[in-house]
Amino acid sequence: MTVFLRVFILSVSLMFFYFFYLYIEDDKYYPGASFQTSNMPSFKLEDLYSDDVITNSDIEGAHLINVWASWCITCRIEHGFLVKLSSQGIPIMGLNYKDERIDAINWITKFGDPYKFIIHDLKGELALDMGVTGAPETFLINNGKIIAHYRGEVNEMIWSDVFSPIIKKENLFNDN
Amino acid sequence: MIIEAAQFLTILATGLFFLCFLFSIFFNVNDVNIIKLISRIYSHSFFLFFSSFLIYVWLAINDNFSVLYIAQHSNTNLPVFYKISSIWSAHEGSMFLWIIFLSLWGAIYNFSVHNNEPLKARTVGVISITTVGFLLFLLLTSNPFETILPLPPENGADINPVLQDPLLAIHPPTLYLGYVGFVIAFGQAIAFLIEGNSSINWEKQVRFWSIIAWSFLTLGITLGSWWAYYELGWGGYWFWDPVENVALMPWLAATAFIHSLSASSKSSILRIWTILLSILVFSLSLFGAFIVRSGIIDSVHSFANDPERGLYLLAFIGILVMTSLILFSYRFTILISNKRIVSLSKESFISINNIFFGTLIFSTMLGVMYPLIYEFIYDQKISVGAPFYNAIFVPITLLACLFLLFSIDSRWQSKLKFAFLNNPLIISFVFSLFITFLSFEFYSVSKAWTLASLFIGSLIISRYILVIYAYIFHRKFVNIYSVLAHLGLGLLIISIALNNDFSSERALNIKINETETYKNHEITFNNLQLTEGPNYESVKADFIIENKNGNKFSLNPEKRKYFVRGQITTETAIHASLLKDIYLTIGDQLDDGSWIVNVQFNYFIRWVWFSATLMIISGLFLARSLNRVHS
Repeated sequence: MTVFLRVFILSVSLMFFYFFYLYIEDDKYYPGASFQTSNMPSFKLEDLYSDDVITNSDIEGAHLINVWASWCITCRIEHGFLVKLSSQGIPIMGLNYKDERIDAINWITKFGDPYKFIIHDLKGELALDMGVTGAPETFLINNGKIIAHYRGEVNEMIWSDVFSPIIKKENLFNDN
Repeated sequence: MIIEAAQFLTILATGLFFLCFLFSIFFNVNDVNIIKLISRIYSHSFFLFFSSFLIYVWLAINDNFSVLYIAQHSNTNLPVFYKISSIWSAHEGSMFLWIIFLSLWGAIYNFSVHNNEPLKARTVGVISITTVGFLLFLLLTSNPFETILPLPPENGADINPVLQDPLLAIHPPTLYLGYVGFVIAFGQAIAFLIEGNSSINWEKQVRFWSIIAWSFLTLGITLGSWWAYYELGWGGYWFWDPVENVALMPWLAATAFIHSLSASSKSSILRIWTILLSILVFSLSLFGAFIVRSGIIDSVHSFANDPERGLYLLAFIGILVMTSLILFSYRFTILISNKRIVSLSKESFISINNIFFGTLIFSTMLGVMYPLIYEFIYDQKISVGAPFYNAIFVPITLLACLFLLFSIDSRWQSKLKFAFLNNPLIISFVFSLFITFLSFEFYSVSKAWTLASLFIGSLIISRYILVIYAYIFHRKFVNIYSVLAHLGLGLLIISIALNNDFSSERALNIKINETETYKNHEITFNNLQLTEGPNYESVKADFIIENKNGNKFSLNPEKRKYFVRGQITTETAIHASLLKDIYLTIGDQLDDGSWIVNVQFNYFIRWVWFSATLMIISGLFLARSLNRVHS
């Protein structure tokens, strides 16, 4: 009995740490940046505020796509920085992810709207095609190609570490 | 130059702490001279490390923006108070503070415990190696002393506005004091296991330290809850946010631990529990640090994500915990007491409630880990919310309370005798049934769980009031600290239940000079002003609220825009009364000129914090009385 108890406690704790090790080692689950270039998947979804349909033709040139939801607490923390970015003239499209329309609109009216327009992706279809696993996530798009993808909160530090170098390299957002 | 000096002091201290650990392992710790030596080295290294921190505070006050961290989180326009608190507003600096507190507890222990106490040298050794682990983490992965040279910026990037609040300046320090305070219990438990002498009563020595740490932990969690309510604008006291859960787990373990301690400090019964719980409390505190600082969970509290940091912490915590558990199973046989637990004795009730506490900890851990496991297997994100936790916490807590009631009359190591006539339990039973019936009949409380909670809560309160009655009129012995803390528990259960049942909220679309009615209250939008603060501009609304008795008062919710970061925050306006809070937040203006205003009626929410305060006070006074016994 006592031997069983001892072995049980030791193996359960070992498994516990091992699980977190696996989780952390796998970049896929870990919030972070990826610079793989891929085509922007084609989509046809409604605008958050109206029934207007938004498609690939509405997003041309260079801009950010920010995946957010009203249930996402980190999005609230991130939001202030997005407002600042948009005031600097960087175009941001919102991708409202698995969210009720009314909740999303309430949230935006409460915390401010940094987005040029917001795509309402209730079922997460476009998000799935883009490889989104949760919110917040931010994509950098240039001429129909995804050139950077960041999982997690974008803030001053992430902006200067992850996005600024590639923006400089590709020479984007210059006309602003 | 001064920055490098501060960093050098920290590196030096790390070396000396490590020396303490080496001495405590390889030297004969029963030799008084060795104990003295270890104790002195510890004091010296603490002195060096603390000086380094003081220099850092001085750098922050004087706006030394050559320090990268200070440049990123402070600003010349900030009041001095926030310049200091900006140190713990992000990862590096708060880790610095965490380690300062860790070593501070060690220093106080080292200073106040006699050199002839049997476990002192080894305890100091364990505290030292824990400190070294975190110091290396600080220096290698999150160095707060990193500089921007040769050209420092003119001004800093400013503190995050939601953190610019007096309460938030003190919430992290109190919480950290609680978390790391359990290092002493942990250190003593490990020292006891290394020593392997079952006649040492280590439980008696750690009670004082554990109860103080528990009080700080409770205070830290309560302050956090209060801050989220009025500054973040969440409008409630608890949200089952992953990081709240991560703080709740050590609290539950610590509560079970201090109860078990009171049993084992009298006889060595329940020793397996106390050793295991002391390891568990500290491990869960460290686990919290890992979760928050590795960034694997999205939460308000998470810091910047960095896989390297997560990996280091995981490895360090893993080694520390696994070593402790191997030591535990190696010494398992000396922990088994030859006395058996008498059924229906106080020990038996404490053991049963330990199992309940364990279940709650396990469920919370499951709630935190389940989304990670799910994502790992199915590659999809899900979140575990309040319904899961409520379904588990409510019945188990109420059940545990029933055992608490029986334990009041029980004695150490002897069987509880039931007396059916004149039993205080019967009196409180009848009283609580009456209270529950009244609230069902006249106050339209109808949810089954609310009634059950109301019943159990009143049962606890009335039973403890009878204990006080017996003390005053029959001079029966009373443990006043226990009475106070458990009155807090009873009150907490009632307030949570009533808050859950009565509170309501609604979003109004309202224009200036319009009046809306919500729940017998007339809400008039009187005025709107633009004002300017030291580092923000704000829109301040003026609302006049009139209740059905004709009493009027005004509320001024605000929306602020901070200059430097461009962040927008909502400042809530709260009208507090004995039973309810009227809570207003203001949203955006709509195209037709009306504003979105959120009105909440939060019932009994202040009672939640008041109950927690009762627990904190009882903990602090108990610690004070224990300290008097010792000296």
